[in-house]
Amino acid sequence: MFRILKKSLKTGVVTGRYPSAVQPAEQIAAGAREKADPFGRSLTIREVDTGSCNACEMEMNALTNSVYDIERFGIHVAASPRHADALVVTGPVTVNMERALKDVYKQTPDPKLVIALGDCAINCGLFKGSYAVTGPVERHIPVDVRIPGCPPRPAEILKVLSELRGGDDRQ
Amino acid sequence: MADAAAAAALLKKEFSEAVLAMASIHGISWLRIQTDQVPLLVHYLHAKPDVRGSLSLLWAVDHRPREARYEVLYLFTLAERQDWLLLSTELSDETRLFRSITPHIHAAQWYEREIRDMFGLIPQGHPDLRRLVRHEHWPKGTHPLKKDFAWDQVLGRQQGEYRFRHIEGEGVFEAPVGPIHAGIIEPGHFRFSVAGEPILQLEVRHFWKHRGVEKLFEQRTLIDAVPLAERVSGDTSVGHGLAYCQAVEMMMGMTVPRRGRYLRSLFLELERIHNHLGDVGAICNDTAYTLAHAHCGRMKERIMQLNDRLTGSRFLRGVLTVGGVTRGLAALQFDEIVAELDQIEKDFSELESIIFANASLADRLETTGVLTERTARDHVVTGVIGRASGIDRDIRRDRPFAAYDELPVNVALYQYGDVRARLRVRIDEIHESIRLIREIRRKIPAGPIAVEPSRVPNPGEWGLSAVEGWRGEILYYVMAGENGCIHRCKVRDPSFVNWPAIQWAVQGNIIPDFPLINKSFNLSYAGNDL
Ligand code: SF4
Repeated sequence: MFRILKKSLKTGVVTGRYPSAVQPAEQIAAGAREKADPFGRSLTIREVDTGSCNACEMEMNALTNSVYDIERFGIHVAASPRHADALVVTGPVTVNMERALKDVYKQTPDPKLVIALGDCAINCGLFKGSYAVTGPVERHIPVDVRIPGCPPRPAEILKVLSELRGGDDRQ
Repeated sequence: MADAAAAAALLKKEFSEAVLAMASIHGISWLRIQTDQVPLLVHYLHAKPDVRGSLSLLWAVDHRPREARYEVLYLFTLAERQDWLLLSTELSDETRLFRSITPHIHAAQWYEREIRDMFGLIPQGHPDLRRLVRHEHWPKGTHPLKKDFAWDQVLGRQQGEYRFRHIEGEGVFEAPVGPIHAGIIEPGHFRFSVAGEPILQLEVRHFWKHRGVEKLFEQRTLIDAVPLAERVSGDTSVGHGLAYCQAVEMMMGMTVPRRGRYLRSLFLELERIHNHLGDVGAICNDTAYTLAHAHCGRMKERIMQLNDRLTGSRFLRGVLTVGGVTRGLAALQFDEIVAELDQIEKDFSELESIIFANASLADRLETTGVLTERTARDHVVTGVIGRASGIDRDIRRDRPFAAYDELPVNVALYQYGDVRARLRVRIDEIHESIRLIREIRRKIPAGPIAVEPSRVPNPGEWGLSAVEGWRGEILYYVMAGENGCIHRCKVRDPSFVNWPAIQWAVQGNIIPDFPLINKSFNLSYAGNDL
């Protein structure tokens, strides 16, 4: 017990120790912010991987570590689409995941936002044209927000998400 | 019996009729075998006590339009000196049949089903011919890696159902899980059969993320395909990128300058550290021990930020190129790396003593998800998972690449094959990687970091390479086509061989322990599905 406390005290607060996002987050379409309005200052998101290389997932996961600590902004990751305000979709949408994506979209209650995370979700990236890919995401479901990058840095994702909920990304 | 040349000579002697040709290409012993003799020969190779070849890779090549034939290739690694022995057999473009070796060598089963799906070649005598990569809704006759299949065609949809293996009996239930899971993880399907709490059987149904990677390689040139390799499995960007580059370099006979090779080792070890840190935290987290998870997440983030400062990419993307690396680090940056790692190692060691003082954690980890050495060997399991089950293999030591010929690696090895053993291997490897990076700073020579490719390879030339990534052995086989394009690129992520093994490791465990066992394997879905 003593060891654990000592470790925590020694470590101190690490939240916020990250370089600020450099990429401007101008990708939020005009209508998207209004759509996000009903959710107030909080946002519950469900992550759907439709064929990413998994780096985009890793950065989403990084948002939950103590450095970014996404929960302090009222942003939660839900385990089911039924609890979600927003879907975060990664990957170029493979033929095998197309159905699953549409199902998840249907199961998410309205009003809802769709956020395409990463170049693959936005335009299929390097996988564009492949027989096994039917994306991008907006071919199958309406997309409100795009966060480009391969993968976008956690700080960049955070910036967009916090802007959506009408705050800034440092507090 | 020692090296591959001797083994090849022995096979030639024992099976003089069956062996059609014998050669050594890029130092790899190679035998061309008569198609119907393949099972007999590989059985001998696999079972003979002083040879003990284990199957490392099995793949096919469609040689059209240059030559009207298919080729099926078998890469064996021989027990003692870890030598490679390559066998191949040819099929005319009329035949669609080849002899399955799965009845003799269990590890061949997914490979042969993959060949069936991707090339439409049928492994005769294979005990399980259900589809693997292609899901049931793909139209009949779709075989994407055949040369007459257009890479960008739109697939139709048909009806069909995958038949899971059923267990019947009183009180036996099936629990389907996935493809979409609760957390932020990749999609895959798991079908459990349980009687009460214990798992009787698990069947994994993957390939949801199949993006047609190998076909996409064929649309690129040898030089510009590195970004695609980096995106096969994002968490292993360096591992895959490096294995690809090395295969092309072998094909072209290029020698990467020493400084470039040291930098490659550096990047590979950085990747290993940040992934292992994440895994140690995630394993603890799945026992609800969130304290360790929080600390590990923080340390992992430090490395990712360090990666970003060094190279402009948190995943170290864009640092590799055919012929070397693109970033030469300054001495100052080496000081920064080592200073950061010194702090992290101290930090991590403190955490380690906290973790192992926790009795309830130990209780969850010990004897959970045991993968026996026998099962591991039968599946030719690789990497961390193999080393936790007593398989003493590490490509960095056994078949040195990058700068590992000058950087001897101490290989972590545990016997029990449980979750704890897999955790221990990772922890030991974090320390070892940090030590290696200190060595790299001490030993790295001055000089150029890359060479330019000097020629365009002829169609049909090939290269083969292995890299010990943080998960295990990554294999690439690259064959040149016309005008410096890629004719064929076979990608083998360690996950492809380790996924079938997890089905055995969970037997007898309870479903609530599955996430923990799965985390301790931490396999890639993207790298498996391709
Ligand atoms: S955008 Fe880049 S990082 Fe994200 S899934 Fe696609 S290839 Fe991977």
